[in-house]
Amino acid sequence: MTRVRSIVGHPAVGAVCRLVVGGIFIFTGYPKLLRPDDVARLVYGYRILHVDMVNLVGITMPWLELVAGLFLVIGIIPRSSALVIAGMLGMFIGAGSLALMRGLEIECGCFFPFMGDSKLGWDLVVRDAILVLLMLQVLIWPSTFLPARRRAAVR
Amino acid sequence: MTGVLLGALALVAGSAALGIVVNHLSPRRIPLLPTSTETEAGEAPALALPPGLEGVGLAEAKRAFEDQSALFLDARSPDEYEEAHLAGALNLPAYEFDDYFFDLMDPIEEASRIIVYCHGGECSDSIAVAERLVEFGFPEVYVFEGGWRSWLKSEGATEEEGAP
Repeated sequence: MTRVRSIVGHPAVGAVCRLVVGGIFIFTGYPKLLRPDDVARLVYGYRILHVDMVNLVGITMPWLELVAGLFLVIGIIPRSSALVIAGMLGMFIGAGSLALMRGLEIECGCFFPFMGDSKLGWDLVVRDAILVLLMLQVLIWPSTFLPARRRAAVR
Repeated sequence: MTGVLLGALALVAGSAALGIVVNHLSPRRIPLLPTSTETEAGEAPALALPPGLEGVGLAEAKRAFEDQSALFLDARSPDEYEEAHLAGALNLPAYEFDDYFFDLMDPIEEASRIIVYCHGGECSDSIAVAERLVEFGFPEVYVFEGGWRSWLKSEGATEEEGAP
C-alpha cells in the first residue's frame, strides 16, 4: 500500500496530472473566450440554469477555465487551481448527468462546435470523472514541478 | 487548507472580473443579464442573437402571419408541437433537425421568408434552427424572439396537430 502511495504521490505523476488537465482546460477555454454568446446558448441548452444566469456563465466560465488551466500548468497556486478545476468538473458531471437522464440530445460544449464538439454522452461524463481523480492527486500530493514560485507551490 | 480555499476564491473572483471587463470591451459583448430586443410590453427577455441572425418582434410576426408573407417554423419538440402550435407553422425540432429537415425541404425552399420560434424569448432552439438554415444558404431567416409564449399571450391564432 505504501508502495502504491509512493508511486501515485510521486512528483512526476503530479506533474503529468497538472500538465494534462491544465493543458485540456487551456485548450477548451481559449476558443470560447470571444464567443460568450455561443457559450451562453450551450449552457442554456442544459436546461438547468435560469436564463438570467446563462450570460454571466458564458462571459466568465471560459476565462476561469483558461486562467485555472494556465496556473495549474505554470505552477501558480497549483492546489487552488486544482480545486477550482475539480469544482468545475464536478459541475460538468452533475449538469451532464442530469441532462442525459432527462433525455436531452445536446452538444457537450466541451470543445466548442468549430473544434469538433461532440454530442453529450456518458463517455464524456466518465472522462470528466477521470480528470477529477487527476486533480485529487494534485490536491493530496502537491508537486513542485515547474513552480512559478516554490513557496506558492504548496498553497 | 484555508490558503488553498482562499486561493481558489481569488482565482474565481479574478477570472470572473477579467471576463466581465474583456466582455465589456469586446465588439461581441453580450449583456450580463439577457435583455430583450423586443419593444412590446410583457415579452420575455431574449438571449443575444449571434451575428448574422436577425430577430422579429411580436408585431412583425403578426404582420407576417396576417400577410402570409412568411413560413413559420416551430423549433420545439414534436410533442409540444402536436399539443398546439402557431396556426400554419411546420415542426422542425432543434434536436431532431436532420430527421425532419428533408421532409420540409419543399415548403422551406418555396418560402420567401422564414420565421423560427420556440417557447419564448429565452429559448435557444429557434436560434439553433435558424443558424442551420442560414448555413444551408437560406437568406431570409428570422428568429421570433417573443416566441410561443408571447404569441399565446397576444391571443394569436393557434392550431393542434392535424387541424386545418
